[in-house]
Amino acid sequence: MGTSEDKSIFSSYVKKEGLYDEVFDENGGVKSGYQKLLDLYGTRSIDDYVSLNNKAKSSFFNQGITFQVYGNKKSQEKIFPFDLFPRIITSEEWEIIEKGAIQRNIALNHFLWDVYHDKKIVKDKVVPIELLSSSPNYLHQMMNVDPPNKIYNHISGTDIIKHSDGNYYVLEDNIRCPSGVSYVICNRTALKRALFGVFNHYKTHSVTDYAENLLHLLETAKPHGVDSPVTVVITPGMFNSAYYEHSYLAKAMGVELVEGRDLFVENDFVYMKTTQGPVRVDVVYRRIDDLFLDPMEFNPDSTLGVPGIFAAYRKGNVTLANAPGTGVADDKAIYTYMPDIIKYYLNEEPILKNVHTYHCSRPKELQYVLDNIKDLVIKPVDEAGGYGISIGNRLTKDEIERVKSEVKANPRKYVAQPIMSLSVHPTYIDQKESFEQRHVDLRTFTVLGKDEQFVLKGGLTRVALKEGNLIVNSSQGGGSKDTWVLKQ
Amino acid sequence: MLYEYEIDYDTRNSYEKGLNEAFWQFLIIPEENDTQELTYWHFENDLDENNSVSENGLGFKTVQVRSKKVLDHIKFNAHFKLTKKEVNPFDFDLPLDIDEERKLVDSLDFRVDYEPYLRNTRFTQLLEEHKSIYAFDSKKSIFENLTDLNHWTYDHLYFKTGVTDVNTNLDEIIENRHGVCQDFTHLFCAIAKHHGVPARYVSGYLHQGHGFFGDSQMHAWAEAFVPNVGWVGFDPTNNVLANQNHIKVCHGKDYTDCAPLKGVVYTLGENETEYSVSVKAAQQQ
Repeated sequence: MGTSEDKSIFSSYVKKEGLYDEVFDENGGVKSGYQKLLDLYGTRSIDDYVSLNNKAKSSFFNQGITFQVYGNKKSQEKIFPFDLFPRIITSEEWEIIEKGAIQRNIALNHFLWDVYHDKKIVKDKVVPIELLSSSPNYLHQMMNVDPPNKIYNHISGTDIIKHSDGNYYVLEDNIRCPSGVSYVICNRTALKRALFGVFNHYKTHSVTDYAENLLHLLETAKPHGVDSPVTVVITPGMFNSAYYEHSYLAKAMGVELVEGRDLFVENDFVYMKTTQGPVRVDVVYRRIDDLFLDPMEFNPDSTLGVPGIFAAYRKGNVTLANAPGTGVADDKAIYTYMPDIIKYYLNEEPILKNVHTYHCSRPKELQYVLDNIKDLVIKPVDEAGGYGISIGNRLTKDEIERVKSEVKANPRKYVAQPIMSLSVHPTYIDQKESFEQRHVDLRTFTVLGKDEQFVLKGGLTRVALKEGNLIVNSSQGGGSKDTWVLKQ
Repeated sequence: MLYEYEIDYDTRNSYEKGLNEAFWQFLIIPEENDTQELTYWHFENDLDENNSVSENGLGFKTVQVRSKKVLDHIKFNAHFKLTKKEVNPFDFDLPLDIDEERKLVDSLDFRVDYEPYLRNTRFTQLLEEHKSIYAFDSKKSIFENLTDLNHWTYDHLYFKTGVTDVNTNLDEIIENRHGVCQDFTHLFCAIAKHHGVPARYVSGYLHQGHGFFGDSQMHAWAEAFVPNVGWVGFDPTNNVLANQNHIKVCHGKDYTDCAPLKGVVYTLGENETEYSVSVKAAQQQ
């Protein structure tokens, strides 16, 4: 491993039994793709690394790439911790991930069309009706509405892990307003600034083409009769945790970033207020949840949305991406039916595996969950960002009882999965001034357009920075790594 | 027989601290259907702003008014002329086989097709202890059960204004046993749905002069789905089936889908809403 100096950067790296290390194999050898990188990093001392890491961090602060954490009384602005040691995905592995992500998201789109039209999958007893009717995201207002090009989930974030068995599994499908793509691009920029030389030795796919592909595919869904559409990004505002990303994407696509109050609706058309007068808006990449989108139709107290925008959408005068009502498929209970959903609509075997899931709403499975809670992860079906997750083997006795009674009181609200051993990746730990194994996952970004799809070749590798921790969400103290997809 | 109606809807909303931007949406236009035909409509507001006709999420016509002026009130008037056919709510054959009818209602296809109107909603959610408050008679047809439920609701609640408001939940209404047309309707819908019969909230106008309850404001009643017949209107506030005196505007899962006025106003102070409705039978042919 690089030089034999005591202070070489991997000199004190410890490989724990039973963990799947993405860089080193069981015999201490280096896995394909990483040798060159280790040679390059190995020529540096840990002190060099520390100073480079600090430089990269300050560049994040200086660029204002921060996020907010909810739940505390005071919300805090933090930088997303970044690690300079990248993750490498070979072209062969990437092909599986990309095909699998497209397959899943196309199947989800079929599912959404079906549950808002003929509901065949329910009548054929593949998915129970109760799962839909109990979901606040199953919008009555979207029944028999035909979104442009029949696309609902224009933008999806598929969370994938590599299990200790070496296979990729999907953990979650995020199709409401998935965020994180801006970090992918910023991570690449930061790594290039700090360690430009390493890129000369690898043929890595670019990630900076995301915005142009996003804009192009969004505009394939422009309303009828519009030649060159006006697209905007709508944000809930600067207090939203992903505000940096909203502004980044608008800037990178070359479109306006707006808030609800910057738009208005007249005669079922949407206009943007500008210094030169109203400008008609045709495509809205909305980063506002359904229930806040239009106070005339959904939450009447919402001041984030645009009154009347849903009526304009229903008439086909403006495109909203993702379509309202898409959230019904972004539900951890629906997730468990994904293998069936893929087979039902595409008549294909799922390319990416699902983690086995127990539905607490089914009495037998509920009993299993209560009896085996120590070996399971309990997740609320409708929370995002890693909130409300309990990991059985980390709970105290009291906590176990509390979780059990909560699950018993609200079985529909919870699903459980075996504790998956996420793969680990060497990660620089500030406090220890050395590299240690940390669990990682991968959020991939898929965009569906008219007859074409785009998956960003790369993705957000999220790192659980606390030792042994499995929850990688940024709101739970996770960090991230640049992710390289190698060209063939 | 045809009935001709003239309907006026007047409202005045005033805002203590004033506004400089607002958006209002009125859900007050009578629906066009087999028994109703709108022959004239006219909208007016005193802000000199456009009255634009749009549609809500369930496809019912709305009127939208948007203003960017500094103002402290809005006055809005809608005037309609409408012809309504005589409605005989009993004009159909009762099912021959009550078991068959029940089987249909319990079938998966039926429950999927009518899912939105079988859903629990905020205002039609029965608490566990209230689920047995009214039982259906398995020897009677669904229509007969619904007619009985209509009587029962009328008997069970006392019509009283000012004790409930648009935020009152069903459990309070059941406990206190009084309310207005909207509360009667929610209770009827909740029980029908609990027994597997799709039910929906209807908002509309009631022809005045018959001594009916709820006739100087917008009225609410229910529609329930009777197999092989279709949606039938029940007015539990007045213990009748909906007929030519009931002029429908829209339906929805509960009041939330049917609020006659929704608005977004940016103001800190109090606001006050007044409105009145008048329904006149112009002439009868």
